[in-house]
Amino acid sequence: MRRVYLDHSATTPADRRVVEAMLPYLMERFGNASSVHHFGQDARAAVDRARREVAALIGARPNEMVFLSGGTEANNLAIRGIAEHSEAHGRHIITSQIEHSAVSGVCEALENKGWEITRLPVYEDGIVRLEDVRDAIRDDTVLISIMLANNEIGTIQPIAGIGALVLAQRGQGRRHLRFHTDAVQAAGRVPLNVETLGCDLLSLSAHKMYAPKGIGALYIRRGVRLVTLNVGGHQERERRAGTESVASIVAFGAAAELARTEMTDRGDQVQRLRDRFEAGVKSTVEEIVFNGHRTKRLPHLSNISFRYIEGEGLLINLDLQGIAVSTGSACSSGSLEPSPVIRAIGRSDELARGSIRFSFGKDNTDEDVDYVLEVLPRAVENLRRLSPLYQKALADRTSQPLQVVVPN
Amino acid sequence: MTYSEVFKDHLANPRGAGEIPNADVVVEQTNPICGDSLRLSLKLRGDRIEQARFLAYGCAPTLACGSVLTEILEGMSKADAVRLTRQDIIQKLGGLPARKRHAPALAIETLRAAIELLDRKVD
Repeated sequence: MRRVYLDHSATTPADRRVVEAMLPYLMERFGNASSVHHFGQDARAAVDRARREVAALIGARPNEMVFLSGGTEANNLAIRGIAEHSEAHGRHIITSQIEHSAVSGVCEALENKGWEITRLPVYEDGIVRLEDVRDAIRDDTVLISIMLANNEIGTIQPIAGIGALVLAQRGQGRRHLRFHTDAVQAAGRVPLNVETLGCDLLSLSAHKMYAPKGIGALYIRRGVRLVTLNVGGHQERERRAGTESVASIVAFGAAAELARTEMTDRGDQVQRLRDRFEAGVKSTVEEIVFNGHRTKRLPHLSNISFRYIEGEGLLINLDLQGIAVSTGSACSSGSLEPSPVIRAIGRSDELARGSIRFSFGKDNTDEDVDYVLEVLPRAVENLRRLSPLYQKALADRTSQPLQVVVPN
Repeated sequence: MTYSEVFKDHLANPRGAGEIPNADVVVEQTNPICGDSLRLSLKLRGDRIEQARFLAYGCAPTLACGSVLTEILEGMSKADAVRLTRQDIIQKLGGLPARKRHAPALAIETLRAAIELLDRKVD
């Protein structure tokens, strides 16, 4: 059976060149980067090289990068670390309604401990408004955490604008205000520069850019202090104790270098496939809703709500035909409520339940798109035939013409 | 989460999908918590269920339970049908993850509502 992987926002396969770069550091070059002898110094040099590459991906200085286990730990360290460090100056955090659970979960945990959290709306296009950020800032606000690009609908947030706003606020006396952005979905897919963005902290994950799982990084701007979560070792300039995972760090470095040098080609490729896919779906499946701003979004991602059906049934049907996607339906995530992101852009429960994310990768081909366009309309049609909602809609058809909804 | 091969087959090739035009009974039940709904129509010959059809909206287990229910019901006596349990459906599907038990519950509830309506009609 043909297999088409369209879930690159969940994870990507490790690039062969990345694996080849890391393998020696699992075997003959296995040293502990903290050791003084040759083996240790060899590992240390490799970690330093990787740190330069990861820093270069976002225009940072190498010593501003802290390696850790992945995006979730990066978000935990950023938010908890700043919150605990700044507690004396205030206990208010501003975030958005569409953050990944690694941010929203930390905010909830802090809320339970008495912190106040403001969750900004995103409107139908899935984008936070600068005015809302500005209006939400108070004297006791110590952190703003807004993602760079959303993981479900791909919308790109006005991070540079928020960064400038934060800088201005600091100039006006709010010296303790910090700005964090979760760039896990965006990094390696669109050009990023921490100077342009004006953020103090930025989270990265390696396995979204063709490196293995279990490695990520947090950018911490020079001069920004936070409370560390891991103690018991001097690694990462006292900010993340624990023996460095040298081979994984080397892989991350190699993947970051490839992402930087191949970004334009990869971006053009996935966007061309994604746009062809969306045009194909639009012309073959009726009663669908495209989610998220049409242009201010990541080039590889498409989120579509299929009216009258539930995402999980569609996901399994596609999987049985070799196509891997993900859904905002509650059933798949194990929660009772469907995707908070799709709800936050004002869609009904039914549309949130029927949302599917298709995320393309650098190794997808035109044949992949052809195959999905052949399978998907049939799968949707089959599920709709089972749907009492669809049958009712068919009965009402004369009164309501069918349509495709495209925002903006 | 893993689903059985039987389960997946029901999802890919649903049995008894649709609605019987001149059914003896049509019942639709909705799970108030998750919003899943199941519509069941039955045609009887004497005391036996001659034809069963379903429509379903909801997560994959709800669809699969509707499909397997119609498969079980066809040819079954009303008396046997009323004794069916969630466990019978789960077994026939080759098992279900624990937190998906709401789906067979909806199937059985819809079936019982249909039979109750049939009995009331006879009375």
